[in-house]
Amino acid sequence: MKRFVATLALATLAFTSTLRAEDKPAKVTVGYLNLVNAQLVTKHLGLLAKEMPGVDIKYVKVGGGGDMLRAIAGNDVDFGGLGNPPTAIGATRALPIKGILVINMLDYVESMVVRADKNITSLKDLKGKTVAAPFGSTTHYLLLQALKDEGVDPASMKIIDLAPSDIAAAWLRGDIDAAWFWEPNLDKAVKNGGKILVTSGEMAKRGYPTWDIGVVMNAFAQKYPSYVEKFVKAECEGIDFWLKNPDKTAEIIAEELSLPLEDATRMMKGTGMVPCSKQLTDEYLGTSVKKGKFVDTLVSTADFLVKQERLPKLLPRADFEAFIQPAYIEKVIGR
Amino acid sequence: MSVEASHMAIPISADRTRRGSLRLRVPKVSRSVLLSMLTIAVLLACWAIVTEMGWANELFLPKPQAVWAAFIKTMTKGYQGATLLQHLGASLYRILTAFALACLVGIPLGVLMGVSRNARALLNPLIEFYRPLPPLGLYTLLVMWLGIGESSKLSLLFLAGLPGIVISTIQAVTSVDPVYVRAAQSLGATRRHLLFHVYLPAAGPLILAGMRISLGFTYTVLVAAEIVAASAGIGWMIWDAAKFLLSDVVIMGLIVLGLTGVVLDLIMRGIAKLLMPWA
Repeated sequence: MKRFVATLALATLAFTSTLRAEDKPAKVTVGYLNLVNAQLVTKHLGLLAKEMPGVDIKYVKVGGGGDMLRAIAGNDVDFGGLGNPPTAIGATRALPIKGILVINMLDYVESMVVRADKNITSLKDLKGKTVAAPFGSTTHYLLLQALKDEGVDPASMKIIDLAPSDIAAAWLRGDIDAAWFWEPNLDKAVKNGGKILVTSGEMAKRGYPTWDIGVVMNAFAQKYPSYVEKFVKAECEGIDFWLKNPDKTAEIIAEELSLPLEDATRMMKGTGMVPCSKQLTDEYLGTSVKKGKFVDTLVSTADFLVKQERLPKLLPRADFEAFIQPAYIEKVIGR
Repeated sequence: MSVEASHMAIPISADRTRRGSLRLRVPKVSRSVLLSMLTIAVLLACWAIVTEMGWANELFLPKPQAVWAAFIKTMTKGYQGATLLQHLGASLYRILTAFALACLVGIPLGVLMGVSRNARALLNPLIEFYRPLPPLGLYTLLVMWLGIGESSKLSLLFLAGLPGIVISTIQAVTSVDPVYVRAAQSLGATRRHLLFHVYLPAAGPLILAGMRISLGFTYTVLVAAEIVAASAGIGWMIWDAAKFLLSDVVIMGLIVLGLTGVVLDLIMRGIAKLLMPWA
């Protein structure tokens, strides 16, 4: 028995040391958000598997930013995606993650839908109505920001916390009058007596851009830096495929999310894809030397959440600058 | 179980050393209280040491002071538009309403099923089927059927509390000594007399034990019930705070829930002593 254990221990040691020599993770877990973006293309075409031969790649579907934060805090994923409010929360809370690429910019793929028969033509008409949004998400942030900008008191309406799928169900039952959320569920509300009042793209033009950023766990990045590059490379290929082959992409999205093709096509147009070479401009991540406007969004989002009493304090700008790491894209592009 | 045990114990010890056992009992109680307090003190000390020494990430396990500060802040300024007492009030309203409904339905149902074999055969499959279903799975359906308002929340809590009461009431009624029933019948008791003067008083203590267990079950699904479209309630507060990684509020909420659970249980035991001094 003792000898058996000893052999086993030796074998394990040998095995792990060969692994370390190759500097290769046995398994990579990617938490992806259940929404319309090129991560679905990367996943569908197996681009990550091509970059990482011999690595067991696991995709985990995550409902929203709040769940993703918990998955990160619980060390359940190696790579994830977060909208700017959860990112501001994670950075402020010193979660061990870094932002490494722009997954998507949110245009009308995220919108506020209102009941067409309720005579709601502006945010002021929401008084006394029931409005739903997933709390802590990009849309919850935009809803409160928009109300503030137009001087409407959030207390004058009933704002409730619902997951996107629950919003769709509550909408069909007639429990809610308005909701700000995203595709693929947004479509169900629009098709059942809903009309779009504000889109996230319009809010971006007003100075409140919302986006999703790809993140990596610090421990993984330290151990396998080359695999972070491989991940970025695969995601960049997915984005390029999306931009070059919109028709094929629509087919993939339709299949991945079980949608009719025309819906997938429309939802794609509501999502902004940024080619990796452009991500290094001032508009997005910026460069390692001079970080771009994403830092501004993070600072203002965090500031907003502090005022909402959902974050204890506003961190200095430098902390948000340190969070964003364009270095991996720089290496991928530089090749 | 405890009822039977005390029945067994009394005849043996009562005659021999009644005075002696009484004298012994007083220090025994205070000793167990002391031991309980020791457990709490050790737990608190461990918590304080672990966090002071920085062995735990403060993000997941904040210091006791931080949790206390969250408590004070929520008591005075509130969390997201409602003070701690308002959150607690919303939750207690849901728990107690659902629990009262579960008792109102569960006890008569349990008595019926305990007395009548046919009723038991008819209703048992229903209760045994849904009892082990995970509350969250059940809840998605309840939300689709009943909407996002109070009725779906109350229904979930009600369904969580019901089986415990029904099953323990059946047990209580079937374990009533048939000698009592036959004695009452030979004295000319009607079915009604039997129910109110024999079955219910004899089964009372066990029914109450079932009610206490069921209240506990109701507590365990509170967070699940308040996830969907609540804007007040301790369960919602815990859920919302977790989204923003405010673990001090999460831990504080759990402690408040635990303590109110203990207090409610004490109240129920007090009521039992008043109603059923023979137990």
